[in-house]
Amino acid sequence: MVGYNSLELLVGLPLLAGLFCLILSDRFKDLARIVSLLVSLAVFAGSVYLFINKPGPWQLGSNIMLASDNLSSFIALGISFFALTVSVYSLTYSTRSLGRYFGYILITLGAALGAAFSVNFIALLVFWGIVAAMLYLLVNIAGTEASAVAAKKAIIIVGGTDALLIFGVGLIWHITGSFNMGASRIGLSGLTAFSSYLVIAAAGLAKAGAMPFHSWVPEVAEHAPISVTAYLPASVDKLLGIYLLMRASLTIFKMSDIANLVLLIVGAITIVFAVLFALVQHDMKKLLGYHAVSQVGYMVLGIGTANPIGMAGALFHMLNNSIYKSCLFLSAGNVEHRSGETDLSKLGGLAKYMPITFAAFFVASLSISGIPPFNGFVSKWMLYQGVIASVGLGGKLKVLWLVAAMFGSALTVASFMKLIHAVFLGRPDGDFAHIKEAPFNMTMPVVVLASICIIFGIGAFVLPLPLLIAPAIGLGISYSGAWQPMPATLLILAGLVIGVGGYLLLKTAKFRQTDTFVGGWDPDKLGRVDGTEFYNTVTDIKMVGKAVKLEAGGGFDIYSISSSIIKAMSRPLRFLHNGILPTYMVWCLLGAIGIMFFIFLR
Amino acid sequence: MNLAEYLFMFLVFPGLLFSGAAGLVIGWVDRKVTAMLQWRVGPPWYQNFLDTAKLLLYKETLIPKGIARGYFLGMPLLALSAATLASTVLLSANGSTRAGFLGDVIVVVYLLMMPPIALMLGAFSSANTLATVGASREIKLMLSYELPFLLALSVPIVKSGYALKLGDIINYQAANGAVIGSPSGVLSFLAMIFCIQAKLGFVPFDMPEAETELMAGVYIEYSGKALGFFKLAKSIMIFALPVLIVTLYCGGVGSGGVVDIMKGALEYIAIVFIMILIKNTNPRVRIDHAMKFFWGPVAFLAALSCVLAVMGY
Repeated sequence: MVGYNSLELLVGLPLLAGLFCLILSDRFKDLARIVSLLVSLAVFAGSVYLFINKPGPWQLGSNIMLASDNLSSFIALGISFFALTVSVYSLTYSTRSLGRYFGYILITLGAALGAAFSVNFIALLVFWGIVAAMLYLLVNIAGTEASAVAAKKAIIIVGGTDALLIFGVGLIWHITGSFNMGASRIGLSGLTAFSSYLVIAAAGLAKAGAMPFHSWVPEVAEHAPISVTAYLPASVDKLLGIYLLMRASLTIFKMSDIANLVLLIVGAITIVFAVLFALVQHDMKKLLGYHAVSQVGYMVLGIGTANPIGMAGALFHMLNNSIYKSCLFLSAGNVEHRSGETDLSKLGGLAKYMPITFAAFFVASLSISGIPPFNGFVSKWMLYQGVIASVGLGGKLKVLWLVAAMFGSALTVASFMKLIHAVFLGRPDGDFAHIKEAPFNMTMPVVVLASICIIFGIGAFVLPLPLLIAPAIGLGISYSGAWQPMPATLLILAGLVIGVGGYLLLKTAKFRQTDTFVGGWDPDKLGRVDGTEFYNTVTDIKMVGKAVKLEAGGGFDIYSISSSIIKAMSRPLRFLHNGILPTYMVWCLLGAIGIMFFIFLR
Repeated sequence: MNLAEYLFMFLVFPGLLFSGAAGLVIGWVDRKVTAMLQWRVGPPWYQNFLDTAKLLLYKETLIPKGIARGYFLGMPLLALSAATLASTVLLSANGSTRAGFLGDVIVVVYLLMMPPIALMLGAFSSANTLATVGASREIKLMLSYELPFLLALSVPIVKSGYALKLGDIINYQAANGAVIGSPSGVLSFLAMIFCIQAKLGFVPFDMPEAETELMAGVYIEYSGKALGFFKLAKSIMIFALPVLIVTLYCGGVGSGGVVDIMKGALEYIAIVFIMILIKNTNPRVRIDHAMKFFWGPVAFLAALSCVLAVMGY
């Protein structure tokens, strides 16, 4: 073949550019910024081209390593879009080692694209591992003690499940004798096949941050730079994790009833529990981190329904979630950038000083809460139909899944009411009057993302569904419900316009500004409600209170559970390691005698 | 359907004008019955119209200093628009052959969630401590009733063979009898009445407003036109929510014949009376008690009805 394969270019360019940024001296900070911006722009343009024109596969020797189909090129489009967003957003980011920061961002981009295009398990494992390593390095970029702890937790959970993925690939090789993905769909009847599905699904779930592998996401969200959180756990990791889960369920394995039931249970539990934990958080970033976990539940639930509309809903929700979630994280980043604060009890009243950021945050919060006509509503609405259409073992309990999903959505609304109040509307603790709107390169990405939330919501049946989702799923989608976003939005807008007209035209009475009225008291002396305590009533319900306490103490955290198991297991061994040489020699002697007996008296 | 037709449905019938007027009349029924229960005479039937006109046309609109004004004044409009749209969707599914005009039952549920959300955001944006306390109660109340509401709501969906379109649910009941005629339907209906009571903020679940302790709580900073829009939105909700119950449990007004409409109207009035009676015979409960009540007995009742419905009873 003459020249280069476009897949190879798309994956190779960011990897090489990333390595270049890594060796760049710290004196050329602006060069790293420009390289990152240009490369991510080029890669985004390339993935758009690739989504429209499907190139041939890329071979290493006689093995096909990378190839693109509708699903993977859709994922790649998403990944490169978020890399571009984060590159723009990070233009004013400053850290001691900017070259490393942008280098890691670009290498993540290349490796994530590689993982999406891999059709060979070995290639997948390599790229998958690089993304996990970059997660560790990016989270720890600031080098503080807390970020180091969060990064360690992330690498142990994500890396640990990577090991499971390797094990699963080994099992698949044992069954099919090939490292080729999707050579033939494997039935889930045998124990080997079922366990290989489970471990591969675990790798996908951990990457996406579903329970019980969720605990690294809130931790990373709290301590990592916010652009990193928006880039990895909120978008790229989510895309990759759900992609792997979908790939495994659609093309690698033939799903069985039990496997679907497992997904439905994991999904429903993740939705409800994670959002309950989110309700009681005090830190803006950690709260958003728990929502990043909760939203994964919807996608897993959708894949578990195993029908076209549920799957399409899951895929659409994955895309929507990455959009509004990174919008939320990035606008929270704007707030942190200007106020230097993420504690909800100290923030407040920023809507007046950061109107653009608030508008974007407002739209994204309504989207994540599933309020029509925004994009989150459409994908949730599709998921509900998928649940209703589900059959088999999971279908018997479909009311349970439906109520869990819809109730989770109501809890999400509540949680975002608290956030909007505490950050943007309520009265602040200190004086924030000097705060200005964030710089252009930080407001532009959030405005673009919020606009996409609106466009994908109102034009769902015109733009994203037929152009992106339907080809990626490759199955016919039929709707059992009804939703006409365009006329509905038009009517709501008509109502708003008439109302504004009412304010402006009916000038028979005046508008006047006054102080707030609290029954004749002095408003300043009455104290302020910062909103962090809103939901403490919820924890009065015994079960919820217990669950929240357990989560705060690490009871749902697979990291602390497994570390305590390992500690318990190693306690007898530690007892033997007393550091006294004669004791060790006695053990050696006893062992030697044992071996002698075994050899001679056998 | 063309744009003019949509706009007519939204603005005139069965939308803003009709639902608003009907809501104001129902509001008068509420006041009149309450007065009779308390041995008073009560206001004339047009009192609520006068009150609304007074707010919209003659009263000053006061805006607190130092807040985001756009949101403060915009939220009443959002509440009004969403309530009107919900009412339009609900009513146009009744008495018409169009099964899925604009949206299905899920869309209606979400649209009905929007006026309380707008109210909370408006209250938050007024930066008043009492309004904040009221809004925090409103939101906890929403959390409380939403669980049994969704459980109860799934009974008509299950009963009608997992139909989501309102028209399909009505057609199913026309062919197979009303949902309320079955054991699961009765239990779910009972749970639903409590949830609707809370959704409307009627006593005993009026703690977000709590005139005697928070001085109207969420509404405290609102006056003039902005308050008028909120009150109108609430009137439409008072009209629309019993319609939702009639649609889901009693088969709506079917194909829209005169007898059907009479039957629907009678069922509607019966439900409104039940709600007014509950309102007048109970004291306000505390928010944590409401939460325990809804997540406890009411959710259990609704879950039981769900199980029965799935089993086919």
